[in-house]
Amino acid sequence: MLNYLAYAVAAWVFLWGLYGIVTSKNLVHQVVCLAILQTSTYVLLLAIGFKIGGTAPIFADIPVGTPVVDPLVQALMLTDVVVEATVAALLLSMVVKANEVAGTVDPEELRILMG
Amino acid sequence: MSSRQRTTLFLIAVAGLAPLFAWGFRNLPPMGDYRGPYGYAVTQVAVYERHATDVVNAINYDYRGFDTLGEEFILFASILGVLLLFRPSGDDHKGKKQAQVEDALPVSDTLRVGMQAMAGTMVIFGLYIAAHGQLTPGGGFQGGVILATVPLVVYLSGDVKTFEAIVSNPLTKLAECGGAGGYAIIGALAMLGGAHFLTNFLPLGKTGDLFSSGTIAVISVTVGVEVTGGFLVLMRSYLREIIEERLQGEE
Amino acid sequence: MSLTTAIPFCVALPLIIAAVLALASQWIGRRVCDTLAIGAAACNVLLALVILRGVWSHPLIYWFGNWWPRPGGVALGICFNVDAVGAALAVLTATLTLAGLIYSWKIFEDTENHFQPLMLIFMAAMCGFSYTGDLFNLFVFFELMSVSAFALCGLKTLEPAPLQGAFNFAIVNTVGAFMIVMGIGLLYARTGALNFAQVGRSLGRTPADALVLLAFLLIAVGYMTKAAIVPFHFWLADAHAVAPSPVCVLFSGVMVELGLYAVARIYWTIFSGTLAAHEGQLREILLILATLCAVVGGLMCYAEHHLKRLLAFSTISHAGLMLAGIGLLTPKALGGFLIYVLSHGTIKGGLFLGAGILLHRHQKIGEDHLHGCGRGMWWTAALFAIGAFGLAGILPFGTLLGESMISEAAKSLQQSWIAYAFVFAEVFTAGAVLRATFRIFFGWGEPAPTDKSSRVEEKPETEETRQRTPAAMFLPTAALILLGIAIGAVPQLRGTAEGAAGVFVDSSHYAQMVLDNAAPAPPRKAPEEPLTSSIVRSSVAGALALALALGSVFRKKLAPALNFTRSLELGNSALRAAHSGHPGDYVAWQSLGMAAIGGLFAWLLH
Repeated sequence: MLNYLAYAVAAWVFLWGLYGIVTSKNLVHQVVCLAILQTSTYVLLLAIGFKIGGTAPIFADIPVGTPVVDPLVQALMLTDVVVEATVAALLLSMVVKANEVAGTVDPEELRILMG
Repeated sequence: MSSRQRTTLFLIAVAGLAPLFAWGFRNLPPMGDYRGPYGYAVTQVAVYERHATDVVNAINYDYRGFDTLGEEFILFASILGVLLLFRPSGDDHKGKKQAQVEDALPVSDTLRVGMQAMAGTMVIFGLYIAAHGQLTPGGGFQGGVILATVPLVVYLSGDVKTFEAIVSNPLTKLAECGGAGGYAIIGALAMLGGAHFLTNFLPLGKTGDLFSSGTIAVISVTVGVEVTGGFLVLMRSYLREIIEERLQGEE
Repeated sequence: MSLTTAIPFCVALPLIIAAVLALASQWIGRRVCDTLAIGAAACNVLLALVILRGVWSHPLIYWFGNWWPRPGGVALGICFNVDAVGAALAVLTATLTLAGLIYSWKIFEDTENHFQPLMLIFMAAMCGFSYTGDLFNLFVFFELMSVSAFALCGLKTLEPAPLQGAFNFAIVNTVGAFMIVMGIGLLYARTGALNFAQVGRSLGRTPADALVLLAFLLIAVGYMTKAAIVPFHFWLADAHAVAPSPVCVLFSGVMVELGLYAVARIYWTIFSGTLAAHEGQLREILLILATLCAVVGGLMCYAEHHLKRLLAFSTISHAGLMLAGIGLLTPKALGGFLIYVLSHGTIKGGLFLGAGILLHRHQKIGEDHLHGCGRGMWWTAALFAIGAFGLAGILPFGTLLGESMISEAAKSLQQSWIAYAFVFAEVFTAGAVLRATFRIFFGWGEPAPTDKSSRVEEKPETEETRQRTPAAMFLPTAALILLGIAIGAVPQLRGTAEGAAGVFVDSSHYAQMVLDNAAPAPPRKAPEEPLTSSIVRSSVAGALALALALGSVFRKKLAPALNFTRSLELGNSALRAAHSGHPGDYVAWQSLGMAAIGGLFAWLLH
């Protein structure tokens, strides 16, 4: 059971992130919930790549052939983290502009397009 | 839909999604039991093929370097998008902004001196991390972010003029665009020798040396330059009006 | 220029030029930047055509970094799998971007020269998306495409509506993107690979268990969010209402269709073996989804009076038809999908540019507001009418060929009811555009009812003299609509498309080509069946659309029996209320849709 705890955490965070976006009353809060949603994918990827008894895949001081964890998921995650920061920056810039132009950050009030 | 209806709709969805996840995740290999061929294959060959000791960065900048080119351009496009959205418009709603910017609190001496002392160390640390991408954990993305926080630290210490001088320097824009375009150009240069795009064409050197693993080190530094420039440009767009206010206030 | 040079440059060249343009943005003038961007787009059209010609008869596998797969079929690098289908989509992307950039010559909005590099990055991402053969690379280009799209959508920052539209677009699509990453993670856990061929070979023909099904669900739902399939479609209308016209062309013309292409590619290379036992049930599920999409899109299309939202809902409706093309899971239907995408993309692009022309000339975009304003704009009216009939899929448009192939494939699988979905969608979408044409360009009947959104965005995109339509705006519009007709005139198109689709669906041979360096199989040219039943169906659809449009326009003068057209125009209030503009609503529907489809998968496919 405990072996699957990490996966359960990933699913849990994913669903809570979705809940946050759905029930949010503030656009900034929605962007932060989106970031939380992304962390669930990180947890899933890293849990998938983990190997018991494996060390970091850096062979500077250990010989090649020592058991290491999977480097690919770490590589995928690495770039994703920085990308997430800038995508959040783009979304937040939309929120800042919305506040400036419409005077509100409440999605209930910012509903000009509908129907 | 009212807020309550929305929440109810979502909870019905969760009632379906949670069991779905449980049913699917049950069949995952238990954590710690990594089986796939990719990890084993690449850890056996990366050090020999590319003389790089950091396999994660070898994957990032060499084996799957094309992905990283795409990710770097995602960064570039987001920053371009922020610049596009924050571009100064006609009337600029100056009235609203002025009401929001309060007077800056006086900065304590501890903060000021401490931050300015840290700045130098952080620059060296950031350069170290960015330059040793192929040897130790680190590399362009991480080093670039560390370097980008240095002007922010300067800003926090109260020295708005220096912050403005750093981030509005044309070299920052050159760093951002040059880093992004540079990565693609390095890939294209590989084709001059008849190889495919993004082949590692520089001499590989000795494993463990600073100048080893060919283009991995060069690309790592390029990415670092781009990330630094990009985050500085980003900070400038966000803080532009506040900085103008502060600088006007200081005069 | 050899193919191996052209393929990476198709993606890398616009990226490099975009970086250069962004660097020099402060120092070069607007016109220089525009010219360079148009030049770059034109180069890409040429490169994409060269690539299409090169892979016409056999696909080419291009390994980045010279990382050919290891013995045993382990791929450590990233490959581009360039076949006729992907290459054709790349040509469509480049053509639409070129048309959009020429059109935007006249758009006065000062973007500090950041608009053009973003368009080039958008184009490069979509080209890369069509060529790639790696799961995570597909996702990276998906994200690049999305980020450029978010920024381009929210371009007009002086009004609050573009920010709402772009934000809704961003939230819904990013949630979809994270679902894709989860799906990729699950597939990686099972197979330890990211290359399509390697994952497909590793999954093989072992029957799918819960993990594989969940991975398929997550990936399909994520890409269908981009493809605006009901109930993941709510973001599309908001985004189209506020994006500049050249950007709308790219959204509706190719971005949405690429989502469907991704579902098809992933299904055929990875899941077709494991899900082979359940092909019939999967087909049913996808066809039901497609019909729902076509119906909802058609009904909402007819109920809209903001021209761009109207066209956006027509895209949703036609996306349902294209999903039917994929969902039938046969090469013939897939070939029909390809032809439909090509002709629909150009026609829809032309219609969006036409709407932009109206916005330029009259600073209004609501059908009620524009009533009668278009009198005298005969050429634009002609383009609108021709485009409307193109949506109805009559001769000589390419959409007719696409529809005929899909309907034939459906008939051979005893699913011929899908032809009725086509007729429904065609009647309502073409009818809506015709109705708008009659009211705007001829001033017939009474002004349309006002929607909540029909006044949005009524600020001009252009500043210059409004007495004439500039050539830079009119020529791309006409060129795109004429291309939609020209595609239908290509000889042997259906046979070639079906042959290309045959190569697309052959997953075991694909795996051998990628991993074992086997030689590609020559595509077989399929026999073409007569078009008569399709011509009859589409002519009926076109006539019904015309009748519906005339009935709506002249409702008061003609019999009171036509009052149902008014209720069609006002739309179903529950359906309209669902499109509320609140991103939380959209994500709630997205989750519910995923749960429902997941439930169907679990029940039927396990």
